[in-house]
Amino acid sequence: MKTRTTRLLFSVAAAVLLASITAAAHHAISAKFDDKKPTTLSGVVTLVDWRNPHVHVFFNVKDAKGTLNWAVELESPIDLQSNGWKADTLQPGDAITVQGILARNGSRQVWGNSVVLSATGRQVLKFTPVVPPPPLQPRPTPRWADKQPRLGPVPGGVQGYWGYPSSTVLMEQGTNIKMDAWGLLANIADAPKVAPMQPWAQALYVNRQARFLQDDPTYINCKPPGGPRQFQLSYGVQFVEDRERQRIFVLIGGGNSNYRIIYLDGRTHAGQVGGDDDNPLYYGRSVGKWEGDSLVVDTRGFNEDFWFTNGGLPHTEQLKLIERYTRTDFDTLKYDVTIEDTGAYTRPWSSGWTLRWVAGEELPRHLCQENRP
Amino acid sequence: MRLTALITLSVVCLVGATAVAQEGHPLKGSWLGTWGPSKMHSNDILIVMNWDGKAITGMINPGTDNIPIRNATLNPEGWLVHIEADAKDKAGPINYVIDGKIEGLAFHNRSVTGTWKSQRGESGPFKISRQ
Repeated sequence: MKTRTTRLLFSVAAAVLLASITAAAHHAISAKFDDKKPTTLSGVVTLVDWRNPHVHVFFNVKDAKGTLNWAVELESPIDLQSNGWKADTLQPGDAITVQGILARNGSRQVWGNSVVLSATGRQVLKFTPVVPPPPLQPRPTPRWADKQPRLGPVPGGVQGYWGYPSSTVLMEQGTNIKMDAWGLLANIADAPKVAPMQPWAQALYVNRQARFLQDDPTYINCKPPGGPRQFQLSYGVQFVEDRERQRIFVLIGGGNSNYRIIYLDGRTHAGQVGGDDDNPLYYGRSVGKWEGDSLVVDTRGFNEDFWFTNGGLPHTEQLKLIERYTRTDFDTLKYDVTIEDTGAYTRPWSSGWTLRWVAGEELPRHLCQENRP
Repeated sequence: MRLTALITLSVVCLVGATAVAQEGHPLKGSWLGTWGPSKMHSNDILIVMNWDGKAITGMINPGTDNIPIRNATLNPEGWLVHIEADAKDKAGPINYVIDGKIEGLAFHNRSVTGTWKSQRGESGPFKISRQ
């Protein structure tokens, strides 16, 4: 009876730990880990879980209480591979020393900044963020036969996509507020300066910030990154121009790897989804037209089930976006957006940034897997 | 063993269920709960609210008692909710005033807890949860 009870208690404890691990997908590091709690742990690898959105290494650590299994959370396989890490770099049985920061919720999880093989002292992981390729010589904007700029690859040329956004956070143009790459404010008192929010929206934004962005639906439930956020996530976007049907597909590398469609055939915002025309959507309904060398896209009909920015600026179903895409040269896409949402903001406001052409590559294969940490 | 698996699954589901997205205006949506003289003797209540950018509108018990909300406000400082609604029963017109506070703001199934009262001197606890 005692054994059975013990097994039950252990099972419940393990389930709670498992549930706490699975509560977030590819997330802001600060949402889950506390950079004010650095730690160093040594132990023996029991499992390497090489999967999106985050790689995990499990290892046994001995301390005064006995042997406990810890999880080291690392960047995605895409990011680790670009840092020279492979799925078999570590093997079960390897003794390692991990430097990182502890989980906020007190569970046995650590965000790994460094992993060293104890036997040789060899550092098998020291992660450095991927940087854009060195600046290229300016090349002219590629164009179709009718001189309209191409947003995708040149005909017969190498594939490519747009990545390395010059900013991964959204704030009103002309403001300069310190945030981390995930949109977490360095000083929460700066919240009112980020955008002209209504009082409720500002209070909600502050609440999301104070909770370290841990409630972000894109990371908890793999909700699509609608709105300007799709141009600020890791792993870029790819344009597929279907000129015959007058539409452009925007394939999204981050989030849950889906796409939106921009229609250029003169249709209105209504009637784009058969049988469910008024149903608000994650990417809204986009209609566009070319104005000179810029594609101007009017999008409305968003739902409220996602965060449209890194950092958690609120929006409502009244959100309308005017986006301008301008390929200023071969390797640069300028993205400008005007945000109008009478439900959450006091006036329209604008922002913008650039993206870099990543030549010779398809979008990285990143899958945001629900209930995967 | 089956019991062990069941408990494990239940705990995972329970903890996982709390990790649901926040959305737009915190009061928008359908809310289900109770109001009454006491916790033991209370009536079910359904409230549907909307936010148009300027005002909170809505209906209490749509389709049954149909009590339109005359005035509703949300004070983001403390997330205090105030709702006024006018109804009519056998005794004549009745005005309800509900005061409460949003709890669990970050969660889809957040709640409003507080009290209600009428001009006839009736009052009781009030609790609704977002569906």
